[in-house]
Amino acid sequence: MKTRIRQLRKERKLSQEELALAVGTTRQTITSIEVGKYTASLVLAYKIAHYFELTIEEVFDFSDVNEL
Amino acid sequence: MEQFKMKVKRRITLLSVGTLGIVVFCVYGFFAMASRTMEDGTFAEFQLGLLFGIGVRAIIEIVKLSMVMKDNKKLKMLYNKENDERLKLIRSKSGMPMLMITSTLMLIAAVISGYFNTVVFLTLIIAATVQLLIGVIVKLYCMKAM
Repeated sequence: MKTRIRQLRKERKLSQEELALAVGTTRQTITSIEVGKYTASLVLAYKIAHYFELTIEEVFDFSDVNEL
Repeated sequence: MEQFKMKVKRRITLLSVGTLGIVVFCVYGFFAMASRTMEDGTFAEFQLGLLFGIGVRAIIEIVKLSMVMKDNKKLKMLYNKENDERLKLIRSKSGMPMLMITSTLMLIAAVISGYFNTVVFLTLIIAATVQLLIGVIVKLYCMKAM
């Protein structure tokens, strides 16, 4: 799943470690989410979006999700 | 975070008590080895080596946890690492909790069986080692893939 996390981090001059510490996860998980290897759970996605003061849809790209 | 701090303190206490017990056993084993026959020399050396390894690992963990207790940022990072959803998923996929329990039980059984049968002792050691190795390989693969 694609995300805008890297772009949002760079805009705010935030490191992966700082973001990980703030949302209660590890730097490796943030890396995995950014490269699309790992899909965050609803709780983590909410925490990340909330940290950037955005909605989940504004941070995570759901266009690849298959429609029912 | 206060609850986690208490948890870490408890862990340090348990590790310290365990290390003390291991030191006592190692000292006893070292002096008792002199009186053992050649036949059970291998078993006695393995037991001593295993306990020494566990003791060293425990001391490293005590030092690491003590340093973490002094720094709130490191404490938060440790908390995040232990509660990280991705790592929890990787641990669960590699069967880690059950694997560690069964391997530990096999090592305990190996130490006890060593007093009676060398073949059983060696079989259990090899089985526990292979089991742990497979778990580590699967964990590494999952960490790379996820």
